[in-house]
Amino acid sequence: MSLAPGGRVVVIGGGLAGVSLAEALRAGGHGGPIAIVDREPAFTDRPPLSKAAFVDDAPIEELALLTPDRIAELGIDARHGRNAVALDAAARTVELDDGTVLPADAIVLATGGRARRLAFPGGDSPLVHTLRTYADARAIRAAAAPGARILVVGAGLIGAELASSLRAVGADVVLVDPHPVPLVPAVGGRIAGILHAMHAAHGVDVRVGGIAALEDGEHAGQADAPSRPLASRPGSADGARTPGQEDERPPLRSPGSAPVPAPGRRATAVLNDGGRIEVDAVVLGVGILPGTELAEAAGLEVDDGIVVDARFRTSVAGVYAIGDVARPRAVDGSLPRRDEHWEAARLDGEALAAILLGQEPAPRGAGWWWSDRYGVHVEGVGRMDGDGEIVLREPVDAGGGYPVAFLLAGGRLAGAVSIDEPNAVRAARRLIDQGVPVTATLLADPSSSLRDLLRAAR
Amino acid sequence: MADGIEVAKVGDIADGEGLKVSRIRTGTLDDIAVFNDGGAFFALDDTCSHEEASLSQGWVEDGTVECPLHAACFSLKDGAVLSLPATKGVAAHRVEIVGDAIVVHPAADRLA
Repeated sequence: MSLAPGGRVVVIGGGLAGVSLAEALRAGGHGGPIAIVDREPAFTDRPPLSKAAFVDDAPIEELALLTPDRIAELGIDARHGRNAVALDAAARTVELDDGTVLPADAIVLATGGRARRLAFPGGDSPLVHTLRTYADARAIRAAAAPGARILVVGAGLIGAELASSLRAVGADVVLVDPHPVPLVPAVGGRIAGILHAMHAAHGVDVRVGGIAALEDGEHAGQADAPSRPLASRPGSADGARTPGQEDERPPLRSPGSAPVPAPGRRATAVLNDGGRIEVDAVVLGVGILPGTELAEAAGLEVDDGIVVDARFRTSVAGVYAIGDVARPRAVDGSLPRRDEHWEAARLDGEALAAILLGQEPAPRGAGWWWSDRYGVHVEGVGRMDGDGEIVLREPVDAGGGYPVAFLLAGGRLAGAVSIDEPNAVRAARRLIDQGVPVTATLLADPSSSLRDLLRAAR
Repeated sequence: MADGIEVAKVGDIADGEGLKVSRIRTGTLDDIAVFNDGGAFFALDDTCSHEEASLSQGWVEDGTVECPLHAACFSLKDGAVLSLPATKGVAAHRVEIVGDAIVVHPAADRLA
């Protein structure tokens, strides 16, 4: 179903997917009303929150996907700081938390997700942070005074980047992950090992395991005192949030009742091997939960994400889902895991715009992602696990540089990951998408040009 | 600057490659990246408008350059931004081929 020329589009969520959709609709000539409802004060690009913007204390304006001028130029009805509280799929309306009801011809759920929390004693303490929004990043940054000790739980992309950024601003960092070498399925063993070793090389205390509890700081180091979990934050029972409800962040100690803080750290983190670490804050980097509450309440099919078909249609006509929250059903009926990478969200928005405009979306190639930490730039395309053989291209200069890792399957590239060698991945991406035959010998030879392989295939 | 600045010979920049020319040499606010896209030469301000990255290290293809960090895409012709995460374009400079010399004429508003 394509949209009538004056058709009204209401997008819930002003992250990359929603904004890309709106821009692409306008670029494609759509003249009808477009509203974007977003809980944040600006349509925010999130990758910098764990990287440069964190270290540089960037104002939120610098992370805006659209400037106010551009929003006006595009004629977007921007509902900043608003939550959508109800979706009436039959009437095709969206109700906001200020009582506004927005009628629509197409409703697009681009609600992303919220950071997953972990259940452990003290896990509801205000000292326990997650990172998803600009406000989250600021709260972590405020806790990360030079010399503060931060426990980062989870050494995936976000946890690893945050550990790097926390070191850059002078905090002591303890990083704990259940895997001795995280990210092996994403980048292959060799690169995963190199990346993980960078933490220790930059002074991070790297542990294997997880967090079992967070105990009150006053008892830190007092072996005979009964340890007690830190007080909970009000109203933060996990999973009980309404769509869009922001976490309250109460003061660390309520005024009046606060004793003079004991010297030393604010709390003691207990790891699941029994290890005790005195910390000032904990950050959980353990993934996201898709923002499906509104969809569920509206009766849409939901299964760890809003289930959509290849054209982003949910189970209800006129309602679509894109970005992190969308879980497209494969042609064989299976439900692969959601793609939470940045570029996938942008391409979802652009593809749905084409569909709504009655055009064929551009074919989707292998997924691409990046990560920046400790001054190096990591990027990858396609997959690095499953069927196939990992091939390593060692750097020309044995004393410097990093290998590029490829996954070769059936005489074709299926994936590649590089550190500070982005054009190897840019070339690999095109070799994958064009199905160019390659050999392990060529891939492993640092003097063979991947670009020439591409040219030869043209 | 009416005569422009010879920055390299045509053979110095392979197809699909970029060359960073120091701002000290060009007298401009930013370094200048000179690109060879299929035998046609282009020049842009070198620093990506998104984060600190040298576009001269980018992937050059079909009239565009992709930033080596986050793949923001810019038009080689006029520096216009073609994709996020960048939201602003970069300045373009006129390029002239004189014999086998690549001559860049820095944009007047980008002179230091």
